[in-house]
Parts: sequence; C-alpha cells; structure tokens
Amino acid sequence: MKSKKSTLIQAIFGGIVTTLFSVICTANVELSTTWQTEVAITDESRVQKIESILKPEVNWSINDAFDMTFIGRFRFDTQDRLGYQISGYQGDNHDNYGSLNGPIYEGNNADFEIREWYLDTEMAGVFWRLGKQQVVWGQADGLKVLDVINPQSYREFILDDFDDSRIPLWMINAEIPIGDDDSLQFIWVVDQSYHRFANNGSDYQITSPLLVPQPIAGFDIASFELDKPSNMLKDSDLGLRYSKFYHGWDLTFNYLYHYLDSPVFYQQLNESSVTVDAKYQRSHLLGFTASKAFDAWTIRSEVGYSTDSYHLLNPSTKQHSQTFLDYQGIRHFKDLSSVIGIDWQGLEDAMISVQWFQSSLLDYDHNIDNAMYRPKHNQIFSFLYQQNFANETWQLEVLTMYGVDQSDTSIQVELSHMLEDNIELWLGVDLFSGNQQSLFGQFNDTDRLVIGFEWGF
Amino acid sequence: MNRSTPTSALAIPLDNLSRASAIARVIVTYPKIVVFISLVLMAALLSTLPTLYKDTRSDAFLADDNPALVYKNKVKAQFGLSDSMVIAIVNKRENGVFNPNSLALVDWLSGQLSTLDNINSDRITSLATENNISGTEEGMEVVPFFDELSGEQVSADNIWQQVSDFPLYMGSIVAGNKKATLIVAELIDENEVEETYQQVLELIAQAPKSTGDEIHLAGEGAVSGYLGSYIDADAQKLNPIAGLVITLIILLAFRRFSPALLANVIIAASVLMTLGIMALFEVPFFVITNALPVILIGISVADSMHIFSHYFDLQAKRPLDDKKQLIVETLVEMWRPITLTTLTTVAGFMGLYFAAYMPPFKYFGLFTAIGVAIAWLYSLIFLPAAMAIIKPSASSAMVRQAKQGKRDKFSELMVQFGQVTLQHHKKVILFYSVIMLTGLFAATHLIVDEDRIETFHSSEALYKADKAINYYLDGTNNLDIVIETNEAEGLFEPAVLNKIQALQNFVLTLPNVKGSTSIVDYLKQMNRSLSGGDKSEYQLPHDKALIAQYFLIYSASSDPTDFEAEIDYDYRVANIRVQFNKGGYQDTKVAIEVLQRYILEEFNEPNATFNSKATLSGRVNLNYHWIKDLGESHFVGLAISLLLVWIVSALLFSSFSAASFAIIPVISSILLVYAAMVLFNIKLGVGTSMFASVAIGLGVDFAIHTIDRLRSTFKSTHGDWDKALAELYPLTGRALFFNYIAIALGFGVLISSQVVPLTNFGTIVFISVTTSFFASMSLLPALIKATKPAFIANQLIPSEQPNMSNNTLDINETVKPNYAKVFRSLVLIAAVASAGYFTINQQAHATSTEKAIDIVNKVNNVDDGQQVTRKLTMTMIDKRGKTRVRETQAYRKYYDQEKRTVIFYKKPTNVKGTAFLTFDYKDTAKDDDQWLYLPAMRKVRRISASDRGDYFLGTDFTYDDIMLEGKLELTDYDFSILRNEQVILESDESFDSVVLQGTPKNESIAKDLGYARTLIWIDTATWVVVKADYWDLKNKPLKTIAMTDIRNVDNIITRHVLTINNHKTGHKTIFQFSDVNYTSTVKDSLFTKRALKQGK
Repeated sequence: MKSKKSTLIQAIFGGIVTTLFSVICTANVELSTTWQTEVAITDESRVQKIESILKPEVNWSINDAFDMTFIGRFRFDTQDRLGYQISGYQGDNHDNYGSLNGPIYEGNNADFEIREWYLDTEMAGVFWRLGKQQVVWGQADGLKVLDVINPQSYREFILDDFDDSRIPLWMINAEIPIGDDDSLQFIWVVDQSYHRFANNGSDYQITSPLLVPQPIAGFDIASFELDKPSNMLKDSDLGLRYSKFYHGWDLTFNYLYHYLDSPVFYQQLNESSVTVDAKYQRSHLLGFTASKAFDAWTIRSEVGYSTDSYHLLNPSTKQHSQTFLDYQGIRHFKDLSSVIGIDWQGLEDAMISVQWFQSSLLDYDHNIDNAMYRPKHNQIFSFLYQQNFANETWQLEVLTMYGVDQSDTSIQVELSHMLEDNIELWLGVDLFSGNQQSLFGQFNDTDRLVIGFEWGF
Repeated sequence: MNRSTPTSALAIPLDNLSRASAIARVIVTYPKIVVFISLVLMAALLSTLPTLYKDTRSDAFLADDNPALVYKNKVKAQFGLSDSMVIAIVNKRENGVFNPNSLALVDWLSGQLSTLDNINSDRITSLATENNISGTEEGMEVVPFFDELSGEQVSADNIWQQVSDFPLYMGSIVAGNKKATLIVAELIDENEVEETYQQVLELIAQAPKSTGDEIHLAGEGAVSGYLGSYIDADAQKLNPIAGLVITLIILLAFRRFSPALLANVIIAASVLMTLGIMALFEVPFFVITNALPVILIGISVADSMHIFSHYFDLQAKRPLDDKKQLIVETLVEMWRPITLTTLTTVAGFMGLYFAAYMPPFKYFGLFTAIGVAIAWLYSLIFLPAAMAIIKPSASSAMVRQAKQGKRDKFSELMVQFGQVTLQHHKKVILFYSVIMLTGLFAATHLIVDEDRIETFHSSEALYKADKAINYYLDGTNNLDIVIETNEAEGLFEPAVLNKIQALQNFVLTLPNVKGSTSIVDYLKQMNRSLSGGDKSEYQLPHDKALIAQYFLIYSASSDPTDFEAEIDYDYRVANIRVQFNKGGYQDTKVAIEVLQRYILEEFNEPNATFNSKATLSGRVNLNYHWIKDLGESHFVGLAISLLLVWIVSALLFSSFSAASFAIIPVISSILLVYAAMVLFNIKLGVGTSMFASVAIGLGVDFAIHTIDRLRSTFKSTHGDWDKALAELYPLTGRALFFNYIAIALGFGVLISSQVVPLTNFGTIVFISVTTSFFASMSLLPALIKATKPAFIANQLIPSEQPNMSNNTLDINETVKPNYAKVFRSLVLIAAVASAGYFTINQQAHATSTEKAIDIVNKVNNVDDGQQVTRKLTMTMIDKRGKTRVRETQAYRKYYDQEKRTVIFYKKPTNVKGTAFLTFDYKDTAKDDDQWLYLPAMRKVRRISASDRGDYFLGTDFTYDDIMLEGKLELTDYDFSILRNEQVILESDESFDSVVLQGTPKNESIAKDLGYARTLIWIDTATWVVVKADYWDLKNKPLKTIAMTDIRNVDNIITRHVLTINNHKTGHKTIFQFSDVNYTSTVKDSLFTKRALKQGK
C-alpha cells in the first residue's frame, strides 16, 4: 500500500513539476523561495538537528479571475533524532495521512511534500479557494480551541512554527461576502489526514498519560488496531463560519463537524495482555470568537463547545481498575473551552500579550475522579513579550506557557535579526519544566538551543 | 404660610433685597413718570417698524456668501434664469389644450404677460413664443408654431402635429397627453415678486377662458410671491387670536380686567419693540419670524402672571394694607424668580443662535432672546408702575377664599394630581423612563425633509396648481447643470456635446427627474430637420464645422437670443436645465448626490483634450445645500441650548445636581416630541427643527420653579420630605398651571396657522411644553422623593440665610451682605455679559488662528481622489547606509463615514504576504480599526490603533503619518501661521509656501503622537504640504519629511516621493509611489479580512 501511495504521489509530483515549469515560462508568474537552516543542540550538548528546508512558492496569475499558488517543501536533516525511520512503535506513523496527502521520502534523511497547492477564484460573488491549504480559525495564539481544521505534526512538539507544523488539507473553501463587512465561510475537507505524532524513540515522542495510553505493569500489548476513516465523502469534515464586523467588533460564529485529530485509544484488558483499538471519532464543534481594540489594548477571545472529547483513564491502582475496565480505559465528555487574550501595545515598538486558556468537561463524573489523568477544569496561562529595535531589524520574543494543574512550563526565547533585506538570523532557547506526566513537563529533558538563518530569494 | 407665591421662598440675599426694595419704591413713588418713559421708549422703537421688510425667498435661508448661492446667482446672471412664474393651462376634454380656443388663450396670456413691468418679455416661453425648426430645400426654416393658428380645429391639430414631433418641447411646455401646456415667465427683479404675483393673478382672472379650460399659477416665483401675502394673512389672523386667548386666561385666573389689559401692554412692548429693533438693524422678517410674536406672547404673559398672582395673594390676605407697599413686597419677592427664568429662556434661544447656520434661524434665536429680555424689563418696571396707578384689588372670591383658608378649584386639582404622583412615584419614574427610551430610539429614526410647496395648506390654489403641473408636465423644480469649456466656441466640439448628451441621458434615469433641456436638444432637432426630417436623424452632428454651421443657419433664420437660456454668447458655457416633478429634499437628494459623483468622474479633467467642467446649480441644488445640514444643526443646537440652560441653572442654584434635575423634564419632553414626530411622520424640517431650543427655554422654567419651591417647603416643613413635596402643589402648582396654559395655548394658536410648517411647529411645541409641565409636576417630585437629593436636603443645615417663609418681611432690616451670593451673582452676570459680548464681537474674533484654520481646510480640501491604486516602494536606510527595500501594492478608497486603506507586501520574500488594513473613521472620537495579516501566523490579527505615534512596520513614518497622507488634523493640533517663505527641498524643487506651526492641543495628544510641535510648509499654489518638521516630546528635532516629485495624475496633485529623515536615529525612509491611478476600479472586496489573507 505504501509503495502504491508513493507511486501516486510521485506521479503527481512529476505532473506538478512539468506544469510548473511550463507555467513559469509564461508571464504572470512569481517564483519565490526561502532557504532555512536551523541547528538545535540539546542541553546534553547533543546535536538534535541540522535541518535545511527549501520552500519554493509559485504564484501564477492565470488571468483576472484565477490565481494559483503552489508551495512545496524539501526537508533535509543530517541528524536522525527527530526520526523518519526510527522503528519501534507498532503502528506506522505515516498512517495519519489521507490517501492524497503526505510527504514522499528519499532515503533516511530527506522528504518532499506539497505543502499547499490551491486555486483562488471569484465566481458567482463567492471567493473560492480550492485545493490543499491551511485554514486557521480562532483568535488565540498557540492555544487551540477553534484552530482545529488542519491537523498538526508534533515532530518537534509545539516548537516548530505553526505554519510549518500544520498539515495542510485538500478542501473546498468558499467565502461568501454578505453586505460590506460580513461573510459566510464554507469549508468541505475531503482529506482524511490527522495529527502526526513524533515517532517512538525520537526526542519529542509523546509520553504523557494525558495523551497516550501507558504500559500497564504485567500486561503485554496483545494487539494494536488503528481504525482510520478513509472514505473521501463519507468521512469528510464540514465547517461553517459567519464573520461579522459589528461596531468595531470582529465576531465569528463557527461550526465544524469533524473527526478529532487524535485517535481514541480503547484498551481491553485480558488475562495478561491488553488489546488497543485506536479509533478516530467524530465531534461537533460550536464556537464563537470576538476581538476588538480599545486604545492600546486589544481583546481577543474564543469559545468552543465540543460534543465529544475523550480522556484516558488511569489503570494503575486496584480501586480504579473496575472503572478502567468498564470504560475501556477512556471516558467521553462534552467539553467547553475558551481563551481570553489581552494584547497591550502601550510601549513603543513592543507588545505584551497575556492569554488564559481553560477547558471544562461538562458532564463530568466525580465518581471516577481518581481514575482521571486530567482534572475537570484545566487551565493554561500564556505570556508573550515582543520587542522591536532599530526599525524592526531586531526582535526579541519571549513566550511562556504555564499549565495550572501540574505547574508545568514551557519557555521560548528568541532573538532575531534582519541582516539584509532577505536574510534573517536567529538564536533561541526552548525550555520545558514540570513532571514527566504533564503536557510540557514530559519534555523536561529536551531543553535546547537553536540557531538558524533564513534566506529568501 | 400661604403668603408665599410659588417662587417666594428663593433665598434672597438681603443686600440685594434692600436694593430691590429701594428700586421698587422709586417705581411706585413716581409711577406716572415710569409709565411715561416706558411708553415713549416703546413708541420710539415702534417708529422704526415701517422700515421692516419681508424676505420670503428660499435664498434667504442661505448666507449671502454661501458658495452654492453665489454660483447660482452667477448662473442666473449669465443665462438670465430667474425663479419663474409658471402658468399652466389644462383642458381635460378630448383634444386637450389643442383646440383653437385654448391655444388662443395661450396666445392671449403670453402677450399680456409681456406687458407686465417685472416680467422679462424676451423670456416668456410658451407655444405662442416658441419656434418650430424644420428642414426646407434651401436649408432650415425656423417658424413660430402659432403662425398657422386660426379658429379651425385643423390648425390646432397641425400645431399638435408639429409640437409632438419636436421632442424638446414634449414634457417641458406641452403635456404628452395634450391635456396641458405651460407659459413660463421669467422675472426681472425677484424682490418685486409679490406685486407681480398679484398682477398675474389679475390677468388670469380676466383671461378669456373657453369650456374646459383651467388656469393654474405656480413655479418658484409664484411661491415666493404668494408666500409674503400668505404669511401676512396668517399673522393677521394668529396674533389677535393669541392675544385673545391670553386675555381670557388672565381673566379666568384673576377675575379682573386690569391684569389682562396690562399683560397685553407688556406683550405689545415685547413683540413690537423686538420687531422695531429688527427693523433698526435692517434684519428682514423671514418666513419663520412669523412664529416670533406668538412665542413672545406666551413668554411675556408668564412674567406678569407671576407678579399678579403674588400681588393678589398678598392683597387677598391683607386687604387693608397699602397697595403700594404690597406692590413693593411683590416686586422684592418676584424679581429674582422672574430674572431666573428669563435667564434660562434667553440661554435656550441663544443656543439656537449659536448653533444655527441659516441666517433666519440665527436671527430668530437672537431676537426672541431680546424679546424675552424686554418682557422681563417691562414686567419689572412698567408693570409695577402701572399697578401703582390703577391699584387693582383682588376679586372678592379670592379674598373670601383667603379668609377661609380655602383653595380654589385649580389648586384642588393640582393637589389631587400631586397626591397621585407622590403615591405612585416609582411608577411615574418608570413611565417617564419608557417615554425617554422610546424618544431616544425615535431620535435615530427622524427624517430630515423639506419641501417648499408643503409650506402651503393643501387647499391652497397654489398647492393644487403645483400638483397639477407636476402631474401633467416635467415639473416645476429646476436643477441647472452648467458646463464650462475653457475656450470660446468650445461647445462646438462634438466630444463635449456627446458628454452633455450622455449626462442628459443619465440624469433621466434618476428618481423624480422627468425631463432635461439643453442646446443638444436643439442641435439634434436641427440635424434632423436638415437631414430630411427622419426620426433616426434626431442625433448630434459629428462634425465641429457642421455644428458651427447649424448655429449660423439658425441665427440667420431666427432671433439670435433664442438660445440665451441654454448657451452663452461665445459658445463657451452651456446650461442643462433638469426638471423634477417633486421638490422635496428627500425626493431630490439622491439625484443630486449621484449627479455630483457623476460629474466628478466624467467632467472636470483639465488634462483632457476637450476639457469641460460641470457644476450643479439652480433651485433644487440650492435647496439640497441648505437642508442637508439641518439635522446636524438641530442636534448641535439642542446640545448647546441644554448646556447653556444647565450652566445657568447650576449658577442659579449653585448646584450641578440641581441643574441636572432641572433639565430632566425638558429632556423628557424633547424625547417625547421625537417619538411623536416619528409616530405621526412629521419630518425634521425648517419649521420643526427649531422646536428644541424653544422647548428648552420655556420648559425649564417649570422645573426651576419646582425645585426652588421645594427647597423652601423642605425648610419650612423642617425636613419632612412628604410634607415638603405635598406643599408644592396648591400654590406653585396652581401658578405654574396657569403659566403653562398661557404658553401652551399661545403656541396652540399656531396649530391653526395656514402655514404648514408653523402648524407642525405649534403642535410639537405644544406637546413639549405640556410634557415639560407635567414632568416638572410629577417626574421631578417623584425623582426627588426617590433620591432625596442634597441640593434640597442641605437647605436644613443652619446657615446665614434668613428663613424667608417664617418671618414677616421687613424690607428695611439691615443685614450683613452675603459675599458668596454676591460673588455668584457677579459670575452669572459676567457669564451672560461675556456671552453677549462674544455674540456681538464674533466677527472681530477672526484672528490668525482662523486664517490658519482656513489654510488647514484648504490643505484638507485638496482632492486626493475618491480612490487610488498605487505601488509603494519603501526604502529604509540605516545610519551606516544599509538599505532594506519593500515593495507593496496599496489601495485607498473613501466611503461615507470612513477611509479604507489596504497595503499588500509583495517583496522581499520574507515579508511577502504581509498585509495591513485600516478603517479610518471621519469621527475622530472613534478609534480606527486596524488589522494585520502575518503569513507565518495565517491569521488576521486585530491590532490596536491608538498607538498613532508608533512607527509603521519598521519605517520612520508613524501610523498617524500614514493615515493622514499629508492632511492635517484640526482636532489634534492648534495651528498658527508663522510666515511665508520660499522652501527649497533637497531635490532642488522650490515652492512658495506658507509655514504653519502646529502644537498638540494637550499633553495627552502630544504623548499619543510623540510630537511636541510641528512646522508645516504648504505650497500656496496647490495647497499641498511639501515639508514638515517634527520635534519630540523633549522638544528636540525628531524628523523632517519632504514631499517631492509632485505631479498631476488624473487631475489630482500627487506627491510621488516622500523622504523622511529621523534626526535621532539617523535612519531614513523613502516612500516612492508609482503606477498611481485614481480612475481604475478599486473593489470594495479589497478592504476585507479575506483579501488580507489572499494577498489581494
């Protein structure tokens, strides 16, 4: 199956190259490329990655009515720590991609991927964007409530730019203007690609019991089954968003009918083994966002209500085991999440932004309190400080996230400099702290220093 | 206790009191001299009355230097277009007016009209005067239609045949269904219109009508002509009725004839002296001035009623006392409340004066205020003197009631009203809250509209005539579009004529436009006649020489002045006359606004090969200009009046909260009026818009009396709230009730006016005064009961003030002067005096600041295009010479309320896709809305717009610099003119400039902008800013901006290079605009968040 897919992708790729070449020969084509190299060194003085990314972008104005955009990505990493071919986990991590999606690999160190490829057009008063693309909903930075249309690659957990880690999907995206300032967006995603987690054994393999089932002492894994939706029509996702500009407020009302991007792990305990059935589940997401600027302050907020969210249970103690058995190690809840963010631009060339994320399980069952890894209410605070110097040629950015429940923290500091028009250099540190069970704390041992440059041409 | 009048317990400083008593004593001691002097003064001013003149023209509503009016008069002079008399002959029989008799009537009337002195005999347009253009073998024949007129129906049919084949006349002078035809007669002198109107009416009466003929007289000339006599007749009817009503009310209140007589003298003094002063200052009597006497009647009677009320009250209780002593006591007690209410009323009307932009309104506000002051003066001086002579006694009924301690029916009524109010005070508050909320909602739905013909009652012949003409023909409301070319015979150019033709075709698609006439119509007819008469040849000739030839042929065969109304002597300027069948503001607004845009886009391009300029003029355009700001002016006037009344009340009560309570009833009344106007579909027009100032000035008096009385009853009842409130009703309630009845009925009389706007005005003032009265008697006590405010409660605190209500007044008692009170009085007097001084010297205040403002306005009025598309290259150079370049595509477009700007970054690659969108609102109080799209975030991010002083995306321009685009912000800076100077820029370009200095209005603005001051060099040839220097908050040089490469693009002065040097950082930014285009379409969809994401 894998080779068939590769062949298909290669065929497409060949087609694209040919098309692009012929297109570039014609007028109205803009070609731009960025070359980015980043080196990361962990606090054990181990080189984690020496990664180069070449990202060509083609914008073709076919005529007044049609524009096409193509963005590709070649990636090459001399190190293996972030892992392409590290084996160990029984499932194939690439299975997160739908049949039309996913990179093609060259050897152990390189891959190529069509990042985005879409056609923009205006027809019947509707703005269409058709093809592989990223669609971002919501107002929050870094914390996701409504920004769940595109799945994400957690190869570097949350350290990679969202723009790079988001997995673009094939979809139909239509935006219908209503009046002067309002619009209705319709999204139909026909791509069954979901989150890609870091490979087992790699630096950012997820181990927190909040997210993946834990090995149970004395039990072997008897089988692991992954049930992934694959029917393009039946398993497609649908989204609607109404955006309104009202008395200076940017408001949106969102609805998304989608598959949750992480599989739900059902664990059945037998005599001495456990059977894991990983199934993707659907959910309805209803949301609302609002933002407005007041003087030097900007308020951004979003609220989302999910009809379905799944949370792992703890099998370890005896008293919980019955619950674990009853619910196959996972509980289903309704979830209400929100983010409120306040940006302050009162200082010259600076921005300070504070966000409060909370998630609440609505039909929570206190009887199983002790069996749950996550609490009923979960909160994360984030703090961002951005300062520009020398006509924006230097920028310092500090981003901190703090999980209230387990007191875990992530801190990212970056100093960047525009050396030339088109050359940017940066130096940064990424730090995690907290206990191994927690969201950020699980990477306590993977603090790193990064240094990189980007060249655009 | 009952001794006091409604207002008797005002805290009177005793030094004032003794002074007042001294003056009062002088008045009652020498009453005859005082009466004599008063009457002589009155007679002196009355002698000027005959010089008062009426000005009923629509033009009177605009200031003489109003650009629209100036231009209209210029056009009038050029084309001989005046407000015309329009006579319509209507015949509904089979052949319509095309029967020999009706046509003979047209001939007769046209001939007779030309004999009238004030009718321009060359400028009568009718079937009898116009010519038919037809082709002959030799060329063109221009023959009068009526050449063939005989007594036979055949000749009438023949004329119909010719006319109906001449598109120019169809609709403009002949109805398409044959039923009507027009005679349009231009006036020579519009000021003589009234007499001419009467003469034309006489002619019509004598005219030889045959069966079925109806003759109607309308048109703007007729409207102006009739309005004068119409208003006279109305005034002659209204004023006696108002006087009669007032007399009856006084008789009812006091059961004595002498008060009624004296009140009428005061009314006469106030009204006639005011009109005399108007005559003295040569201010004309405008249409709306008609409301002035009625208003003054209502107000001035209130003062005398309060005085009589108090006097008779004293007299009934102490029938044996010396009447002169009683008069003195009355005056001592009453001068202050009367002065108080006069001041607030004057404040209300001065609000109208300050806010109005139309001269009639300004004068209305000013002279009503003067009239109110005269009424005050005569009430305090003439009235006591006259009373001292007549020595009126209280009626026996009043004496009897006083003895028995009984109340009369009116007192009883008010007491009952008070009981109900106080028992249900929460419901009362709720009730008024609902009214106020409803009114607030309604205010946003008010419609501004005005239609001159609607001034007349629908039963008037003129009104019917206007409707008839607008029904059968193209209409009586004219709009002129003047087309100017820049050289003689420029109108022979087919390109220009085609543009005129296109404009005429366009104008016909606009609402309520029924026809248009221009030289093009004549040329088309000539072309057709000379090309064999085929209908398909009814088109413009394409050849310049041919057009010149047509004119030559025409002038050879007819009177060369025939085209006077359409084209000037050297064929440079042409006029298109557009006819509307409706003349209301709402009916014509859309057309005017659309046309303004159209001519902006299609004409007025100096660089075009055949340059032509188009300007709107004529009656419809003028009406549009004077009505369009009416709504705004109304609300500004309302705000100023409220503020003035509030300030005056605050000074009087020395309490801001008391002042705030005092204006609650008037606010509720105004809001109720809004609700009523929306409910009954009364439009905010010329007549109705001035109601608010009147309502405030009158309505606040009730509240002031109420609060004042409550302060004293609270004291006299030793702080018992319930008793104090109940005490309000028997006396104050009764007096205010009569006061209210007098004013309400005075205005009520206006309802019977035949002048429709006055009827509406009377109705809404009646509603508002009624509401103010009832709110003062119910809402105000209810609120006071609910809140127990300090300005009443603190009356109990022992103070140096004498307790007026508990002691017998000894006016000879010497008391220490109360300096605080004196000081307050002085402040008040100073405030009123300086307001007056300001009023009179307004013109003298034209300082250099105003000139600077003029210059700023010129800068801000430089056309920068409705929309623009351009490339913007930003070059940023640091002090070591390292350069960064960013290429962007920018769009900007003006909308009704905002300016939208969007900038898309195209290069270099790492900023590509970044986009910035701004909505910059006209309302400077409203923050701009700004969004930034950063491609790495894939998200449109709302950003704060308040940091106007922050640097824009790494450049040396601040966000504010970017938004203003070379305009200057009057709300941020005070500007002054420094000098004139020739400025030479780095680029060697030099300009004659005027240098303005701008200093931020306050520290907070300075901090926002990041500038302590700025110098601005403005090119006096183009009024664009060419250079600016800025200093930082420490007053050190911050940056210099130079604008160079100034070129005309699409007829708009465009600065192509903006260079900015930051002296602090050594950094430099160059903005270079290229591919600037003001004409290509800029889609609205560019200014959306979607477009930001999409990158275009």
